[in-house]
Amino acid sequence: MSSDYLTNQVRRLRFEHGQMTQQQLADKVGVTRQTIIAIEGGNYAPSLPLAFRIARTFDVTIEQVFRYEDEQT
Amino acid sequence: MNRTQKGAWFMLGGALLLIAFGIYIFAVMFVAGDRMAGTGWLRVGSLPLTLFLIAGVFFIRRKQSASEPDSDEREKAIARKSFVWASYSFWLFCACASFGIFFVVGAKSVVPAYILPVVFLAGLFLAQFVESAAILIQFARETADE
Repeated sequence: MSSDYLTNQVRRLRFEHGQMTQQQLADKVGVTRQTIIAIEGGNYAPSLPLAFRIARTFDVTIEQVFRYEDEQT
Repeated sequence: MNRTQKGAWFMLGGALLLIAFGIYIFAVMFVAGDRMAGTGWLRVGSLPLTLFLIAGVFFIRRKQSASEPDSDEREKAIARKSFVWASYSFWLFCACASFGIFFVVGAKSVVPAYILPVVFLAGLFLAQFVESAAILIQFARETADE
């Protein structure tokens, strides 16, 4: 389930939004803390609805949270 | 440990306990024989299994936090993949057992009827082992990568 080409700014955005903890973010988007850990570590690519929920929690666009690196870049 | 991991550990432990219980019954019925009259031995043997089931229910239901969801999308994806592996192992085991019996006893030989449910149940146990192990291995791999 790891995604070699998908990077994210979840950890940075958490710290920028009042030092939000992983548990707090997990509660807001409706997943477990382990899932947040897996997302931040690049070991799990979230579904689109979850990715949108995370982006809306930080009040940013989804592209500002997740970035897909093309093979050619 | 999330609920999916707890469930996997519980099923693993339960399967091992059932195997031990089956060996216990076999030993009582076929080894001890008449020396074990009555059903007291069955009640004694059932006690660990009953205690394990009750403890397991509390173990699984206890949440890490009050707001923790029962199961999120990642856990469902891991469980789905594990179920597929369990299904493969069940069918592979049944195929190997069927052809194994065929080649061992011969095409025109007769096997006792209880062989069929034994093979089926053994396949189910194997599938449960594989499913639980697959769940725990997938979670462990993600943790090891951190």
